[in-house]
Amino acid sequence: MIAIRIMTDEGENEFSNYFNQLKSDSGYPRPDLSTPPYSEEFCPRVMINETKQFQSKLELAKYLDDFFTQSNLKREDVLGRNGLWTWLAYLWFDQLAPFDNSGNRLIGEMAKYICSSDYRDYYRHFVAGPYMIYSLHGKNNSRIFLYSPVYEHNDFIEQIASRQFLIAHRNLVEAFSILYLDSASGKPKRGAQSRKKPGNIRRFVRIVQQFELTYDLYEMRPEQIIDLLPPEFDAWRRNP
Amino acid sequence: MIQRFNYTGREKIVRKNLSITIKRENDKITSFVLDRLDLQGLNLPPDADTWIEAYYRSELKRFDCGTVTNLKLPLVGELSDMAYTENLKFRILIAERQNRKILAHADRLAPEEPAGKEFILPVDFGGDLGNMIWTVKYEGDDGGPVLFINRKIPNIENIAKHDPMFFVYVYPVVIREILTYMIFVEGVDSVSDPSSEWHKKWLKFSCILGITPPQVLNPEHDNFDKDAASNWIDAVARAFCDKYVSKFNELINQLEKTP
Repeated sequence: MIAIRIMTDEGENEFSNYFNQLKSDSGYPRPDLSTPPYSEEFCPRVMINETKQFQSKLELAKYLDDFFTQSNLKREDVLGRNGLWTWLAYLWFDQLAPFDNSGNRLIGEMAKYICSSDYRDYYRHFVAGPYMIYSLHGKNNSRIFLYSPVYEHNDFIEQIASRQFLIAHRNLVEAFSILYLDSASGKPKRGAQSRKKPGNIRRFVRIVQQFELTYDLYEMRPEQIIDLLPPEFDAWRRNP
Repeated sequence: MIQRFNYTGREKIVRKNLSITIKRENDKITSFVLDRLDLQGLNLPPDADTWIEAYYRSELKRFDCGTVTNLKLPLVGELSDMAYTENLKFRILIAERQNRKILAHADRLAPEEPAGKEFILPVDFGGDLGNMIWTVKYEGDDGGPVLFINRKIPNIENIAKHDPMFFVYVYPVVIREILTYMIFVEGVDSVSDPSSEWHKKWLKFSCILGITPPQVLNPEHDNFDKDAASNWIDAVARAFCDKYVSKFNELINQLEKTP
């Protein structure tokens, strides 16, 4: 167990340098950034399991949600603390950027590890993003976004979480989940991400963005929102 | 020019007809007050529901303001349970009770600054700009400009406010960029009475500096004169520098003293 920390700007620079070195040398040694001046201890002092392994984003998000709740830390106490999320990504970096069969690191863009203040990137962070979704929408309605491994971004997050209006509306997210989640497997229905299939998730986003101009969706139940959708979504409606 | 269509027939609630202020405790935003919302002249049903939403990123909180003829004002909204309070925007919605159709709205509203002071350029020091010192994004009220300054630069808030070099080097260029965007990207639909609140504020700013804008600032208009528009932008930037000549002199003094 280790006390959680906040990455400082200096630590972020070092993490960024390490990240860039890994692109040419997968075995580049990881610097110790859990010491001053690279990070400072979070107040209040709370301990987290640095060796915990997560099978999915959902498992990671649930672990953090339980952890913060048990530590009496509210969502609003932690969500805006970018240095905390960057340090957690550093802590679990080996599972967020694992080695493939050829011994190369599977590394995504920097915003997935270093938590950005930029509204265009923040939801892509591999630790903050899942927690943000889970803490807002709960376990059932988060599944559609958090089914994938911790080191993989997915199109469900990209299409919905990148849009403030969509990700912030609980009823809309529930409608999205009803349409595209296979409740038996806990994974997305086949073809939901296809750009060719009628009523795919991109079409959902497009249609809902039109509804946003016309209807007060916040006050509508998920079933009412689904009823508004045109016939191209029938296949998704019929397939529970 | 960005075309704006309104196929839905929604009424637009203009910024000057409402007032939103924020309250802070220990320098942290804890609540807001909606103390004025004038809906006269909008032809709305008396029982339509009225809401105000505070939002930023994934956060959204909605407050019931009553109905069109029975507004619950002043409305005090608790914000301390929201994760991002510093950059909150507000949205006002009026919707039919039965079919939930939106009848009127105002969006991307920033709260007013204290003491009635009107700021035309909000500054945000929270952004991660990589290796850029500053950039302008159009994320403010009504799509207006916000100046983002790189927080990684030590003591940057103090520098941005007081350093003559920063002032002289950055702000005139920012003004040019914003006016260029206003004309050549968005286009001003009417110089005398623009529908965009932020266009109106920046046109007023040029008048305060003593520079009268050309009559047409819409590139799609037949009478648009590109040279006149460019000259106006240049004149506004120059007038700004003239107004703050003390900063320029301060910079010269500093440089002369530097060995």
